[in-house]
Amino acid sequence: MKDGNGSGFVEHRLANGLKIVIEPMPHAHSAAGGFLVRTGARDEVPELAGVSHFLEHMCFKGTKKRDWKQITNDFDDMGSTYNAFTSKERTVYFGWVRVEDLEKQLELLADMMQSVVPAEEFEMEKKVILEEIAMSDDSMERKVYDLIHDALYKGHPLSWPVLGTTDSITRLSRDELYGYFTDRYHPANMILIVSGAVEPAAVIKMAERICGDWQSKSPRPDRLKPKPVMRGVTKKVIERFQRQAVALIHPAPSAVHKDRDNADVLASILGGQNSRFFWNIIQTGVAPQVAAGRLDYCDDGMMLAYGFIEPDRCDELLEAMRTEIARIVKDGVTEDEVQRVKNRSRTSLASESEAPYYRLMQMIQDIDDFDRPRSVTERLADLDAVTPATIRSYLERWPLTSDGAIVSLGPRDWPS
Amino acid sequence: MSAKEVYHHRKLKCGAEFAALEMPGRRTASYQIRFLTGLVDEPADKLGIAGIVEETIGKGTEKRTAQQLSDAFDAIGAQAGSGVGRESIVFRCNCLPEYIGEALALHAEMLRTPVFPQEFCEVAVDLGLQELKAIEDDPSELASRIMAPRAYGDVLGRHELGTAETLETITRDDIAGFWKRNFTISRVQVSVGGAVDVNAFADQFEGLMGDLGRNGATPPSEYSLKFSPGAHHHHKEAEQQQILMCWPGVAITDPEYATERVMLGVLGGGMSSRLFTEVREKQGLVYWVGAWDEHPRGHGMIFLGASTTPARCDQTIKTLLREVERLGEDLTEEELERAKVGIIAKTQTHGDITRSRVSELSADVYQFGRPVSTEEKNAMVTAVTTDGIRNYLATHPRDRRCVVTLGPRAMEGATS
Repeated sequence: MKDGNGSGFVEHRLANGLKIVIEPMPHAHSAAGGFLVRTGARDEVPELAGVSHFLEHMCFKGTKKRDWKQITNDFDDMGSTYNAFTSKERTVYFGWVRVEDLEKQLELLADMMQSVVPAEEFEMEKKVILEEIAMSDDSMERKVYDLIHDALYKGHPLSWPVLGTTDSITRLSRDELYGYFTDRYHPANMILIVSGAVEPAAVIKMAERICGDWQSKSPRPDRLKPKPVMRGVTKKVIERFQRQAVALIHPAPSAVHKDRDNADVLASILGGQNSRFFWNIIQTGVAPQVAAGRLDYCDDGMMLAYGFIEPDRCDELLEAMRTEIARIVKDGVTEDEVQRVKNRSRTSLASESEAPYYRLMQMIQDIDDFDRPRSVTERLADLDAVTPATIRSYLERWPLTSDGAIVSLGPRDWPS
Repeated sequence: MSAKEVYHHRKLKCGAEFAALEMPGRRTASYQIRFLTGLVDEPADKLGIAGIVEETIGKGTEKRTAQQLSDAFDAIGAQAGSGVGRESIVFRCNCLPEYIGEALALHAEMLRTPVFPQEFCEVAVDLGLQELKAIEDDPSELASRIMAPRAYGDVLGRHELGTAETLETITRDDIAGFWKRNFTISRVQVSVGGAVDVNAFADQFEGLMGDLGRNGATPPSEYSLKFSPGAHHHHKEAEQQQILMCWPGVAITDPEYATERVMLGVLGGGMSSRLFTEVREKQGLVYWVGAWDEHPRGHGMIFLGASTTPARCDQTIKTLLREVERLGEDLTEEELERAKVGIIAKTQTHGDITRSRVSELSADVYQFGRPVSTEEKNAMVTAVTTDGIRNYLATHPRDRRCVVTLGPRAMEGATS
């Protein structure tokens, strides 16, 4: 398959330390650009839980040049597909535009990275965040995600909810938020990433103009390595839900570990599309939603098997997932199963390499994880290296034979 | 820039309607096979059967078991999917261009010679019953399910999962009967695009599918849209209230559709839109608010939606209604241009994704009865004026609207 790039990646560092990574895509008609800010929920202190995400909202609220209305008008005047998101480890701002609008898009995003965090908008945005937390509290999937992190990483920053809590957000002051902003939003913690039908030299020139006067400071403090507890039972009774969420968790490689592709192929065979969970659990009528997947961070990961089931059938689901895990540990996987995952991925990567937006998202992930982008070809080569034999040896290094950690959330106090 | 894109459209000898968009140089190819049958063709005592047919049609053919069929798609990396709508059922595929012929052959085998194994039929009904209960854990989906019959009437407003009472009665014979009656070649529209020889595809399609449903097919059902204005509250314990309101709009084929589309852009098209600005940014009432349209064939319905904590629900509803009315009073040229650019620019950025273009082509053939070029659609958008929108608002009153709220507290402002 052809690469997502025509002439390869171009990397450049401005004098102030800001790194720029560009992937030219001559076949595209559009361009996407974004700032990766290497700070997220795990980089917060407990009393400021949710500050990274709150700040992401506030960056849309005003700069020296624009008020909040002008920022959104300017995005929409380009017809940009734009947004921002915050996770445990990163904050990302992006826009996808017609090629001729790229410079305006980058200038606007760069201006937002120089936010004044306007005090007069702070309390209003706090209300919006509290509504977002309320909305999240109505989502069973979100509740169980937070409970899993609380169970495994209790006391460690990875356990903080990305949104913060109603208490932490209510207490948070504008000055605390501004302090966090000035500490983290500078070239040592940020990367400008661009993909699409662009000339790299022109993009570098734009970056010089719009980001060249930024001042760098000390990088974000080192992260505290977690010591996850992947055993025992954690449960939360919420009577208003109809279903019970049941998760079974084992250790897995981190985002940067060389075993990550083995883990992902294994998870796909176990609980992805056309998987063992699909045929042996879902299609036997146990539950409509059962899956396996890996959650990863820069220094830790977990293999999740989970499902949503009628509360009186939790034991049946747990037993079914354990049976499939035991079978895959004992007998391994087949050549055909591995090849099917590779074939699906090949089509996905080809499809995503058509559009600058998808390549931007892949580059953000790779640059944050590996400190460099990976081409579509390299992504495929990493996947192609996985075989039944490498998965067997993976299972020796990352055994799924322990009881694992069990997380349960729903109307039933299970397991008793 | 890639080579020129060329549309094709014709009736095949077998009776199917064929549309294609040649996109030389693309990295993928994509097609959609749309059957003009859906929820509206369900017998009243078998609601949910269209979804069960869509679920079980891929569970084995005269030549292959369910798993063999899934494996065959995976062997070529073909991403096959399907979806049930009110008036049509779509089977789609995205793949590398060299595999499109093999993928089509598999789809033809699946659609022509399904065997609907008894055990998979029973499981599909069981899973459907579980999914019905699961909707209770998804307030947004539940509100939509409650709204649909009020917006569209009992036939057009059916839900894919039917009801527990009707689902329970569905047998294998019912499933096979629905397929035999409704899956006929004269009710097929097939659309293809990407790096593919479209005429070769059309010939192959005709050869493989031309005899589908020659025996036993029945004419489509007759039905009409029945809109029921009024307010309805559904009590549910949750953190937030869901608010949905709707009123009739125009069909996609109506000369005023472009005007309505631009008006919706002004109302809810981006973060600078009226609803986002007035409901979220100025008052902090919500995290999520939106405006969108839905289009059963020959009809249009305009929706507003938001979710907020119960104490702020009345104010949210009042603001939503006020903003719609205000649009006729103080719409600016600047807002108009912004909304137009938002629509037109996205045809260029999102147009880089082959499967999106094919999906749009399929939708256009379904609604207009022909492909409609991006240029033609953008020209209609460009021609919209502020006077046109004012006139639209004056001649399409919103006083007969339907409002659904779902949450812990009945609303005062919900009634019209």
